[in-house]
Amino acid sequence: MTMWYYILTPLLLILLIVVQSTVSGMFFHGFVTLEISLIVVIYAGFHLDLLKGVFLSFVAGFIVDCVGGFIPGASSFVYVLIFLASFFISEFLDTGKRYVIMSFTIVCVLLKEALLLSFYSMTLKTNVFAGNYVAVFAQSLIAGCLAPAVFYVMHRLGEVVYETQP
Amino acid sequence: MFLFRKYKTAILIAAVLMASLSFVFCGLKYGADRIFLKKVVMEIAAPVESALDYSIKSIRDAWLRYIFLVGVQEENKKLKKKIGELEATMNAYREGYLEAQRLRKILAFENESNHTFVCARVIGKELGALSRTLLINRGSSDGLKSGMPVLAPPGLIGRLTDVSWHYSKVLLLIDENSRMDAVVQRNRTQGIISGAGPEGMMLKYVPQTQDVQKGDVVVSSGIGGVFPAGLMVGMVREVERENTGLFLRINVLPFTDLSKLEEVMVLTSAAQEIH
Repeated sequence: MTMWYYILTPLLLILLIVVQSTVSGMFFHGFVTLEISLIVVIYAGFHLDLLKGVFLSFVAGFIVDCVGGFIPGASSFVYVLIFLASFFISEFLDTGKRYVIMSFTIVCVLLKEALLLSFYSMTLKTNVFAGNYVAVFAQSLIAGCLAPAVFYVMHRLGEVVYETQP
Repeated sequence: MFLFRKYKTAILIAAVLMASLSFVFCGLKYGADRIFLKKVVMEIAAPVESALDYSIKSIRDAWLRYIFLVGVQEENKKLKKKIGELEATMNAYREGYLEAQRLRKILAFENESNHTFVCARVIGKELGALSRTLLINRGSSDGLKSGMPVLAPPGLIGRLTDVSWHYSKVLLLIDENSRMDAVVQRNRTQGIISGAGPEGMMLKYVPQTQDVQKGDVVVSSGIGGVFPAGLMVGMVREVERENTGLFLRINVLPFTDLSKLEEVMVLTSAAQEIH
């Protein structure tokens, strides 16, 4: 089962991130991105063990960079940090509450954008979000609203996977 | 080894973070296309993205086509309504044009002749079996009097029989009660034009010896004092020579289609000229 996890996760993440990218382009014309992959990382921080979660967040970040990023590794770094933050903070939070999921997701999206901004500012010496702060806030709110649904889907998916295993 | 086991998690996390940073530095220094894993991911992701993009594009196109069709339907409704309005307008213009044509003909007729006319609009028709009359919108207040000849270019169509203040009745030449003196224009053969209902008119009392042919024009003779001489009455359609009778049976058709009359002219100066 664990082996299948490490084989299938990258493929499913590619599918997820491609869908996320395409749907974002279709509905928002690139103005905002649906941060479903980040919500999955937060879900992993709340529910998976450290090894699987680090793997998932690293791979998810890397694929995000490959599909739409400029500097490969930047999103991986940020996603792993967010996973670790989710993982350790989940000890102190009631992760079953919807408002907790939503507010934590909003904070994580803002944190991710802030980290990426810092990352790009340091490496490229440019402010890549210049004038797009409204979009960042909109993105965080959308992600916050989507998070409970994504959590529910992930939860159901987990149930199906564990029920079908021999 | 002991240290690795004890700090396995921390080492793993540090390794992953270092790997991420190494990708960053490698990408910045040598270019992102040098990273092999990125190529692999792109190779896998591109077909998926292409298929998804194609599917979404197809759905969007279908949706847009549907929206377009709804728009077309709305536009079609509007255009049909517009066509109806334009047809009504065009019909009004066509009617105006035709009326202008008729009035021009009347005006030309009036200018060519030395008579004085009063133009009137036909507001009623009685073309039944018993009588063939018209009702016009001019009466004694317009100077009309009973017995005045009524014309529709190019010829005579009848005379006024009943005149009220604002309306008058015209007895058509094709009415069986109508009589007038007429001559064949070509050879001045005289006869009496009598109404024959649906058959038009008959030129009566023309002896069998007279030369009257199909296509001859019949005009008013001026005898009797009602109609001035020389007004066109009709054209000979048929001439029958009966073995037993004294006279020819001559069928005359009026020049004007009396069922389609809309404007007529009443000859108001005819009486003065005759006298």
